Amino acid sequence: MQILTQLVFSGIALGMIYAVIAFGYQLTFATSDTLNFGQGEALMLGALVGLTLVGMGVNYWLMIPIVCVFGAIQGAVVERIGVRPALKIKSEFGWIMSTIALGIIFRNVAENVWGRDMRPFPSPLPEAPLHFLGANVRPMEILVAVGAILMMAAVELFNRRTIWGKAVVATFNDREAARLMGINTSLVITFSYALSSISAALAGVLIAPLTLAGPNMAAQLGLKAFAVAIIGGLTSGMGIIVGGIILGVAEKLTGFYISTGYSDVPGLVLLLIVLAVRPAGLFGKATIKKV
Amino acid sequence: MMKSRPLLLAAAGLVVLALFPVLIENPYYIHLVETISIYAILLFGLDIVVGYTGQVSLGHAGLFGIGAYSAGVVIMHFPDTPFVLVPIIAIAVTALFGAVLALPALRVTGPYLAMVTLAFGTIIQILINEMDFLTNGPMGITLSKPIVLGHEMSDREFFWVVAFLLVAALLVVNRILRSHLGRAFEALRGSPVASDCMGVSVYRYKVYAFVVSAGLAGLAGSLYSYSEQYISPNTYDFELTVLFLLAIIMGGRKTRSGALLGATIIVMLPKLLDDIVLFRYVAVIFAALVLIGAAIFVAKGRSTLQRVAVPVVGTVALAGVSFVLTNITDWRLAIFGLITLLVVYYLQDGIVGFVRSTLGLHGHGRTDAEAAALLPSPVDAVSTSVAATATPAMQDLVAADKVLMQFGGLKALNDVDLHVSRGTIHGLIGPNGSGKSTMMNVLTGIYVPTGGAIAFKGHSIVGKTSARIALAGIARTFQNVQLFGEMTALQNVLVGLHHTYRSNLLDVALHLPRYRREERAAMARAYALLEFVGLESLAGEEARNLPYGQQRLLEIARALALSPELLLLDEPAAGLTAPDIKELVVIIRKIREHGITLILIEHHMDVVMSVCDIVTVLDFGQKIAEGTPAAVQANPQVIKAYLGGELTAPTLPAAAAPQGGARIGSGSDPSSPGSLG
Repeated sequence: MQILTQLVFSGIALGMIYAVIAFGYQLTFATSDTLNFGQGEALMLGALVGLTLVGMGVNYWLMIPIVCVFGAIQGAVVERIGVRPALKIKSEFGWIMSTIALGIIFRNVAENVWGRDMRPFPSPLPEAPLHFLGANVRPMEILVAVGAILMMAAVELFNRRTIWGKAVVATFNDREAARLMGINTSLVITFSYALSSISAALAGVLIAPLTLAGPNMAAQLGLKAFAVAIIGGLTSGMGIIVGGIILGVAEKLTGFYISTGYSDVPGLVLLLIVLAVRPAGLFGKATIKKV
Repeated sequence: MMKSRPLLLAAAGLVVLALFPVLIENPYYIHLVETISIYAILLFGLDIVVGYTGQVSLGHAGLFGIGAYSAGVVIMHFPDTPFVLVPIIAIAVTALFGAVLALPALRVTGPYLAMVTLAFGTIIQILINEMDFLTNGPMGITLSKPIVLGHEMSDREFFWVVAFLLVAALLVVNRILRSHLGRAFEALRGSPVASDCMGVSVYRYKVYAFVVSAGLAGLAGSLYSYSEQYISPNTYDFELTVLFLLAIIMGGRKTRSGALLGATIIVMLPKLLDDIVLFRYVAVIFAALVLIGAAIFVAKGRSTLQRVAVPVVGTVALAGVSFVLTNITDWRLAIFGLITLLVVYYLQDGIVGFVRSTLGLHGHGRTDAEAAALLPSPVDAVSTSVAATATPAMQDLVAADKVLMQFGGLKALNDVDLHVSRGTIHGLIGPNGSGKSTMMNVLTGIYVPTGGAIAFKGHSIVGKTSARIALAGIARTFQNVQLFGEMTALQNVLVGLHHTYRSNLLDVALHLPRYRREERAAMARAYALLEFVGLESLAGEEARNLPYGQQRLLEIARALALSPELLLLDEPAAGLTAPDIKELVVIIRKIREHGITLILIEHHMDVVMSVCDIVTVLDFGQKIAEGTPAAVQANPQVIKAYLGGELTAPTLPAAAAPQGGARIGSGSDPSSPGSLG
């Protein structure tokens, strides 16, 4: 029982990271119907830049805003190079391939800059676990969950309360109409990519102290986060948190009770099943096709 | 002359391929060409999914792995299996997995499908790694070259096997893609809705495409395991899948030469990157080529400075960087990524497509059209099965009762009755958003009505798929034209004639008499149908290049190819000029003379009033009037619906105008967004 609770807690922490990346997918999907296939690499870059900063003596908490700025720039670059030209020629294949290509480039550059090895990331919080419901919880796991929720809440608040956020929502509802209403929709799309990469980079520095940081830390992360986004629905905020937790816990349980080699499988199988049965996700709304 | 040149080229290619291992004895080069051939076989298959049906598959490395491991596992566990059986088993197993992969592909497209296929590939890799008992896990499987009659094949002999299979695969794939099956694949990409409404089931042909594609991947995989003589799980990873896609888009999709070229590039490129000096040379030459090409394009006015700036700067920078770097191997993936980016945006049709368009060469679409023109025309291209039907003339062809179509709270159709008598032209009019097009979509199975009954020839069609309804005899055109843009006018009509084929894969692959007979008959009839609407001179033109009015006529020809008993025309006159409309009216009358019943949605009242026998008027999803054109015109409720006021004018002004082409109803632009009508 104790082990089970333990697994559930670490599953939740992992699931929140998936939720944050899935949230990044939602942001860009909302404004432009596109998503960054290199979202995992955005997380990895955030973690490695954070690691370098911490290595240079920057305080963990001070490092976070700098990493966010880096994430924003990285996201904007992805949008400008990878997505905008594809939107211009209305090529779905174009942005899928170019964001994949950019992801590969980022990973390769990271391998050459930081080396291929996984490196430990110093934890800003004490390593000593807290005891909760008979299980050990590392303070960092709590920070991951709290940080993830805070970040998503901040963006939601921004969307609902500020004029900028309203522009994002308007672009989501009808890109063409929003453009005619004087909203610079291409800027909004760039902005959504920046925001999406910020969330990924932030997720990177949150998760890195729990795992390790390295160019391949995000190998399956982007795909599994997509599974979360699909399970939760690409338009439901609540859905991705639930979906993230389901997947995170399922993975930890599989890893412990079956084999760590199979721990990636439940998420991927879940993705296949949900898409085959209910493509709009468990929480998303089905849309009517028009002819 | 035109025909002999490709044949000559092909013969020369065959001779070179056959003599290659004799002339070049170095096993390294033999192996290199062998790998290119194996990749090319896979790429033929990948091109079916990516190039023809337009789906993004990131799962082909996984399928390749399944093929390789099918062979490996069979040989490891049953070493006595004859060589001939191994590739067949690999093809069968992989094709089965392809069918599994196609299941989610039926529900989703685009980025979703990309992720699904990626997940599939990842799962395959995990399974190969973890299922030690079957696959020997991460240790991999070591195997020998095939043993035939107790003799182990030499490198050279196995090369010939691969070369033979490459040529066979090329021939078969080429035949499939140029047949009705290939046109069905291509139609899926052009317009899934229109495919379904032409009786070409999107579901079925997506599965076919994935199965054929997977079968080829399986063949390639099994050959690969013999070729390498060692297989391990990590070969079949994400990078390989991206590499395959790069090969297709760089070589040029929808061409076999593109796949061959792409295979050569992705095999040679890593070798190139191993040697920094060689890479520097190539990078400089490449940059120079792009620079010269860009200069020519700008000088000729075919491109602008801004457009060519990025590729020029990119390639020159690459050449510059190659002199700074001492070890290029570590940057291999980044270079692949850069090449992918450049190709995706600046070489969309691939190298083969680029060369073709620069040299002004055309595909087989145009030559086919020329050949079709020479065939003897059929007796009557339009009416075929209609005469044979035994239903009494008086019975309603369509009997729709109390049809309810609800979208959330909106009742797009609210208890509408529609009875269409055989042999009539039935007008369906009403302001925008009144539910006319919804009615069309309900009748053709695109929407399943929330309530009510619809019978066609006395049989209910509620809940049947669009493809089945189409084959039962209801054809349609679309308000916003839904042609297969990259296909020629003739090919568009041929998709409509898909139902006339009984040939299977074997008939097509071997060009058996049945297929040849059916293809010839379909060609002749398609050409005759184009003549019927007056488009025969444009038979070889791509549909997307036709002017708007002719696109609408082409849609009619395509719909007639179904040999329908009922033809639904959704605003055929929208966007047409006055002379075009006159021509259209003549065609509509001609269609009726062939015994085909028509339902006509139209905003041009002069057209409706002059050709229709009976007119039904919808408003806000309800039927407000029905009767002869004259009676409907005089109906006060109809006038109110159109003009919105309490007018009591006896006739509609525009309807009274004889040939004005004036339109009633505000904003009746066919593309006006948000209109359900």
